[in-house]
Amino acid sequence: MTEEIIRVLYLDDEEPNLFSFKAAFRRDFEIHTCQEPHEAVRMLDDQEFHVVLSDQRMPRISGVEFFELIMPDHPDVSRVLVTGYADTDAVVDAINKGQVYRFVSKPWNEEELRSVIKSAYDLNRSRVSNAQEGQQVLSALDGFMEEVDRLKREWAVGGSDALSTVGTGLDDLRLKMANERLRYGQWVLQQNERKQQ
Amino acid sequence: MGFRPRYGRVWGIALLSVAFISLLTGCDTSSSEKQVDSLQLDAFSDPSGLLKAEDVHLRLDLLERLEGERPNLGLSSEALWVRVSGWQGAPRQARIILDNPTVDSIDAVVMDGARVLEFYRSGAAYGKVEDLIPTFNLPLNQNHQLWFRVRSTKPLVLPFSLTRIDRVETMRETRDLALALYTGIVLAILIYNSFLAFSTGQRAYFSYTFVVLTVGLVQWCFNGYDRLIWGDIPWMSQNGLSIMGALSGLAALMFAREFLEVRRYTPRWNRLIQGLLLIYGCALLAAVCNRPIIAYNLVNLGALSAPAMLVLSLVSWRKGNSSALWFFVAWLIFLVAVTMQALRDFGVLASTPVTALFLPLGTVFEMLLLSFALGDRINLLKRSSDAANAKALAASLENERIVKEQNAALEGRVQQRTEALAKANGELSGALDELQGAQDQLIQTEKLASLGQMTAGIAHELNNPINYVQSNATSLHRDIEELIEIVDGYAAAIAAMESGSSGAETLVQEAADRARKLDLNFLKQESRQLVAGILEGADRTTKIVGGLRVFGRMDGDKPVQASLRELLESSITVLGDRARSKAKIEVNFAKDLPLLWCQSGKLSQVFMNIIVNAVQATEARWDDPKERQVSVSLELNDRGSDGEAMLVRIEDNGTGMDEETRQRVFDPFYTTKDVGKGTGLGLSIVKGILDDHGAIVEVESALAKGTTFLVMFPVGSNVKPGTSPNELKS
Repeated sequence: MTEEIIRVLYLDDEEPNLFSFKAAFRRDFEIHTCQEPHEAVRMLDDQEFHVVLSDQRMPRISGVEFFELIMPDHPDVSRVLVTGYADTDAVVDAINKGQVYRFVSKPWNEEELRSVIKSAYDLNRSRVSNAQEGQQVLSALDGFMEEVDRLKREWAVGGSDALSTVGTGLDDLRLKMANERLRYGQWVLQQNERKQQ
Repeated sequence: MGFRPRYGRVWGIALLSVAFISLLTGCDTSSSEKQVDSLQLDAFSDPSGLLKAEDVHLRLDLLERLEGERPNLGLSSEALWVRVSGWQGAPRQARIILDNPTVDSIDAVVMDGARVLEFYRSGAAYGKVEDLIPTFNLPLNQNHQLWFRVRSTKPLVLPFSLTRIDRVETMRETRDLALALYTGIVLAILIYNSFLAFSTGQRAYFSYTFVVLTVGLVQWCFNGYDRLIWGDIPWMSQNGLSIMGALSGLAALMFAREFLEVRRYTPRWNRLIQGLLLIYGCALLAAVCNRPIIAYNLVNLGALSAPAMLVLSLVSWRKGNSSALWFFVAWLIFLVAVTMQALRDFGVLASTPVTALFLPLGTVFEMLLLSFALGDRINLLKRSSDAANAKALAASLENERIVKEQNAALEGRVQQRTEALAKANGELSGALDELQGAQDQLIQTEKLASLGQMTAGIAHELNNPINYVQSNATSLHRDIEELIEIVDGYAAAIAAMESGSSGAETLVQEAADRARKLDLNFLKQESRQLVAGILEGADRTTKIVGGLRVFGRMDGDKPVQASLRELLESSITVLGDRARSKAKIEVNFAKDLPLLWCQSGKLSQVFMNIIVNAVQATEARWDDPKERQVSVSLELNDRGSDGEAMLVRIEDNGTGMDEETRQRVFDPFYTTKDVGKGTGLGLSIVKGILDDHGAIVEVESALAKGTTFLVMFPVGSNVKPGTSPNELKS
């Protein structure tokens, strides 16, 4: 997973900032920059980003407002607020509401910002993987239920060989369930290990 | 309280009774000697009235004897011939008299058989005072006959008598004296009561004086003295008594109506009184029409009013009219007197001077009693009005006492209020001091707020360029390292080629690979851009810091010469995108304007404040930031005789203000913002600062259109604050 290229989108109304950002981080991440919020929204719709950074003070919309705007469609993307001046109230509010993952002040410390982006990416991955895992478990459970239904129908049809067929089916189902449980257990273990890191 | 008047009345009645009785007895003793001899009277009537004296002896068969001392023949218009005999043998001084002054005419005829020897005329119709007691000489010859021809429209009473001549004179004098006394009494009563009538203004008194006057006149007529007033007019001699009687009746009835308050106590009796008044009115009419007998009879009929009044007064008394008792007694006496007179006229009572006094005395006592009654009534009224006055006085005294108490209470309250006011005053002064302190603090807060605003703006403005300068420097450093690495690679390759080393070509290949790998072209382009970014950032930082210089002395009062243009520019810069990001700010500044002596920090505060307000006003009106417009302009304005001025115009298309808000916009603590959002001091401080600079500020505003602030700095009068113009020039 760490091999994957981290895709970052940076929104700021001042072009020199965009250029600096790109120059600073182009070697580490896939950097996309944008001056207009609506452009940024379009880009988010077009392709998947792991991390989105936004300046707080912009002419038409604040960074927090921008995040509020994209949250419903892109809940998993990690949001980092960058601002030239600690507009404390707005920032505290945003963080508390969960709209913002991190807050970085200008001028930024390159190393710090890099690690922020990385951890934001991890958060994004973990969110996505959680979602995927959850989805996997759900579909497995769906499969089990279908299997049970099928066995019930066979049992209802009856016949001389019904008992043996259902018995074999149940054994099969139990095996599948055990495997799924093992897999999920390993995933949970893995997650815990990652958290401890 | 109720006993005194009752006692007074009893005493009055007792006294009057005593006086009346003693007078009667007094009269009785004085007339004890009998001086009039009785004569023998024979009479016959002459209905036609045309019979002549010469023919009288032919009618001797008609003669009838008249009995009694005072033969009463009643009312008759017929003439009456009376033969008087029994005078023979009387002394020479003796005279025949007829003690009846109301006889219209009396002719005495002395006859010898059918021959008329002497003829005398007398009676009321002839208007002679002496005829009040017609007196006739005796015939000289005792064989002659003495006849009298009598006519009267009044009851014909014939008290003929034989009296000594000196005695007649005495009688006349006595009569005159009696009437004079009577008249004196009546006049006294009349004058006294007239005076009372006018002084009290009581209607009862006026009618009473009328009663007195008419009753008095009736007595005059009754005694024949009326001829003194109107001489020998036959009509008056015939009708005078009736007229006076009718008038006195009218007066008495009207007085009774007033006095007994008939309408109040006995309203039903009013009809009766009206009827009686009508009778008297008819009597008057009859008299005027010269129907003396009808008139006299009507007056007599009207005399029914006497008993009627008697009963009426009793009824009225029973109904609670206490004064009615006086009236009752007065009328009782009058009635008794009239009855006596009637009895005397009809011969039931002896015709003595005493009985002759009954009527006048009765009327006098009646008048007096009525006068007393009136006095009593006035007293009663006065007492009741006194009682009312006393009540009113008591009430007013009570009022006074209450007012005094209230005054005292009021004074106490005033004292309390004064103390409370003094205390409140003290508290207010304290509060005022506190308020002053609070205001100072608020002004300080407002300063800090604008400082905070500024700091936020400056921080953001500075942090952005610093950010990319720093970041670019780091990136550039990395790019340079890579460029050096590429250059080093090529340098090593070139060196190897020069030295003819075998690995030279490999080195060249490696260098080319490295350059390709590191993307040399991109690096060159990027490093150039990074350097440009750094330069731009540095430049922006310099500008911002330059603009900040004017705020260096934010609170300093030291005046400096500054360019308004620069001040405005730096103000907008310092506000930064705090303002610019929210609204479109257009600027239009004229160039080459004169410098202005000012406290630059404070003026910047002024402009920032107005611009921030303008931006907020547009924010409140428009949701779309593109619609929000604020324009700031500076120009030189020619104001004619007032000279030139630098005009700063800050215009917005925000919500605008209504007239009230516009007028109060510079008032301290006046704010349209929510509680806690604004101190309401911003613009009041602005006004203060502008006033200090001699600037004129005007505000134009309209709701839903926007607001324009116009600040004019007069050029000519602008001097360094705190210095005189002379100092400036030097």
